[in-house]
Formats: sequence, structure tokens, C-alpha cells
Amino acid sequence: MKTHANGVRPMRIRRSISHLGGLLAALLLAASPAAAKDYLLTGAKPDKLVLVDAAARKVERVLTIPGGGVAPGTIVPSSDGRIAYVVSNHMGSVSGIDLDSGKQVFRADFSTGDLRVRSLFGMDVSPDGKELYVFQAPVRMLPGEYRVEDTRIAVYSTADGVGAKPVRLLPAPRRVAVLAFSRDGGTLWALGWDLYGLDPKTGAVKETHKVLNWSRANHSPPDVLDIWPQFEQAATLSTPYFTARTDLAATDPGAFRTGLMTLDLATGRMDMRDFEDTSAVIFSSVVSPVKRTEAYSVYTQLTKIDTDGGKLVKRVDLPHTYYSINVSSDGKEVYVGGTACDIGVYGTDTLDRVGQVEIAGCPDQGIASLRVIRR
Amino acid sequence: MKHLTPINKKARLVDQAVENGHLDEVVAMQVVVGCASTMDPGWEVDPFGSVAALCAPMEADLYGCSDPCWWPAQVPDTINSYPDWNAKAASAQNDWRALQSVFPKD
Repeated sequence: MKTHANGVRPMRIRRSISHLGGLLAALLLAASPAAAKDYLLTGAKPDKLVLVDAAARKVERVLTIPGGGVAPGTIVPSSDGRIAYVVSNHMGSVSGIDLDSGKQVFRADFSTGDLRVRSLFGMDVSPDGKELYVFQAPVRMLPGEYRVEDTRIAVYSTADGVGAKPVRLLPAPRRVAVLAFSRDGGTLWALGWDLYGLDPKTGAVKETHKVLNWSRANHSPPDVLDIWPQFEQAATLSTPYFTARTDLAATDPGAFRTGLMTLDLATGRMDMRDFEDTSAVIFSSVVSPVKRTEAYSVYTQLTKIDTDGGKLVKRVDLPHTYYSINVSSDGKEVYVGGTACDIGVYGTDTLDRVGQVEIAGCPDQGIASLRVIRR
Repeated sequence: MKHLTPINKKARLVDQAVENGHLDEVVAMQVVVGCASTMDPGWEVDPFGSVAALCAPMEADLYGCSDPCWWPAQVPDTINSYPDWNAKAASAQNDWRALQSVFPKD
């Protein structure tokens, strides 16, 4: 993914405009990385990949994922924003789709022989774009028995194209639903019952941040449901968690607490901090790339959270439930998606709805990821 | 087994297993298998003991829960046994009339 140039390049271009003719300046703008802007990437039933120009509130391109399936699942953009890897074919395959040509440039079908293999959610690509990591659950289909095999992470070389086979199979803990590479590519984080830092070469668990197995006194184990990869903008993986105070009566308003877990993918620092007595359900969250102590979460309400102070800042109702949320590169807008056929756009200051994008024909996005790429 | 004729796919597999000397691999199934990798009870109550905080409308949540088999008991399994159950109903809210009941078949 192209990183934003932090204003340096736009400044240079503005100076250029004052010295050059209009045509030349326009050409420069078109050719320069500074012209890169935010695009949203989502999926739509039964087999579509949808590229959205975020600022224009417009669907730029609808691409077809070949090879069957009724629901695009996890979507992972390549590091240069040119290819989207998407789980499809009833969670039995991953396709790499070139976002410009629409062609399938990578394909791996997971099952072999009597081994039926599915990938429900966890997938990420190495920062150098060379390897794709897919969490898989295999089941051996025996004549009179389904035998559940050990879960694993299959590693594919993205250069292997269509028909790719795993170049490595790494052992992996069960119940992993999110994979996220550290920024330097040295650690593959896997979120399951705990947050495991894996060696991407061997799968060995290098470190573990306890989540379900935390030892916080007078609190129940936290409940986490996170299947949404929404960490690319701030390089921070985040998810809400819910816990019960075991030292308070269930009727006490403070007996149930909601918090946010954050993992800084640059430093590996993990934090779990409550921010309210549980008063709303929350599916997923995203951290602002600009105000890094501000996070936004979504369900049937949109919530702004002060992660540093552990406080709920603001909450507004949404027109319907959304699963996923992401944030613009300038931190000024959040996008809510998944579930139905629209993406809602909200200003981060006021949480006012400032726009929306509807996918033609109104196909559900369902559980498809909502990613932001710059191109 | 010569007096028994297999009439469905599983029985034929059992027959083949006997012929190929794989009888030991045929064991009784003990649990519901297939899609039930996550086992939620289905249309739930919310954390507050009611239904007001469930997804709204329910159709917004239907495919997100059925396609990854969150509700294996209530809706067909689109990962394994009924892969095309909702293939012609891309919008749960608009196309729900196209969603049919399913019945086991060989």
C-alpha cells in the first residue's frame, strides 16, 4: 500500500503550479503519487469485489470473482494497492484480483483429496507483498466420519499466480479469526482466545498477549468477537471486548463493562482499557491514523472513543446495523459497511452522516471486509 | 453385506470401505458435523436479555451470520451442503421471498 507522503509532496506540487503552465501542472498532478486518494474496497454477494472512490462517494469499479461462491469474505489488499486477495468459493479458495484489469492473477483452492479445507476469516499479506498467509481449518472426509484436523496457516507465494499451492504450512492455535502483520513483517499477529505473536517463517509462538486468559481481578474473562481486518490506516489492530465484574451484583449498572483492545503493529504494544458500562452492542472498531488516541466503533450505533482516557466521547444511531468500519487517511471521515448494500460516511468530529455510497442492484456486503487503499 | 443394497451416498461409501478393507474407519458420528464450526443457538436474545439490541433489521444480519455458519440450526449451510441456497437472493432485505426451505436429499 502506498503510504501517504505526509504533505511533503502536495507542498512541492503547489509550488510547481505557480511556476508551470496549467497543462503541465495538470499532467504532473495526474502522474504524481500525491494524486493518490482513498479508495474503499468491499465485497458484494454473490461474487463481486467493489472499488469505491471515497471522496466522490462513487462506485468506481465492480469486479467479478471467478470460481463460484455466494459471499466474498475477508479481503486483503496487496501492499501496492493493485491487487485484492479475497476469500471466496464458500470459503474454500482465495482469489487475487487485479483492481485495474479485473483479471484473476492469483488463485489457491484449499481442499485436496479427502481433506476439505475452509478459511473462515484470518488472512494477511506480508508487507513486501511476496507471501499470503491464510488461516485454515481442515476436515478429513472419511467414509463414515468427519475427522477434524489441526488448524494451520497456509503460506502462499503470491508470485505463484493461479493454481498456487502452499509453500509452507505453519501450525496455528485454534479459533484464530484475524491475522495482522507487524509493520516490519517480523511478526504475524494472530487473534484467537489470546493474541499470539508468531514467527512468520516457522509459526512458532514468540510471544502471547493474554486476552481471554487475562488475570484481571474481579472480572470475568473478556468476550471478544473480531473477524474484521481494519488495521491498515493507523497500523493498529483494535477490537471491542466485554467483561463482567464478579464483585458486583448483576443488577449494578457497573457490573458489565465494555472496553477496547488495541495492538500497535509498529511496536507490538497491546492495551486493554474499559471505556463504558456496557450500554450498547459493538461489532468492530478502527483507530484514527491522525488522532491516534481516538477510535470509532460500529453496530447499530456509531461510537467515538477516547482510548487514552478510556471514555465514550459520542454515540449516534445508524439507519441499520453495520458490521465493519474504516477511516480516511486524513482522519476526517469514517466509513461504515458490511451487512447491506450501502456504505455510510460520517464526519469524525460530529459523527454527522455526510454521505453514502450504494452498490448498484443493492447486493448485500454481508461479512466482506471494508478496506482502505490509496491509489 | 451381500444381502444389503446401498441406497444412498453414505451407504455406498460404507460398502466401498468394506470392499477396500477400511472398515475400521467407519464409526458412528457423535456430534452434529459440517457447518457447525461456530455454534451459536441462532436468533439470540441480546446481552440485555431482550431483542431490542439485536441487529436491525434482522435481514442486515442474515447473510453475515448464515454464510459463515453462525446459525447452523436455523438456516441452510452454504459452506457445505446447500452452497447455492441464497445464490439468487443477493439482498436479504429485498429478495427474501426467493429464500426457500431445504430438505435433505441423497
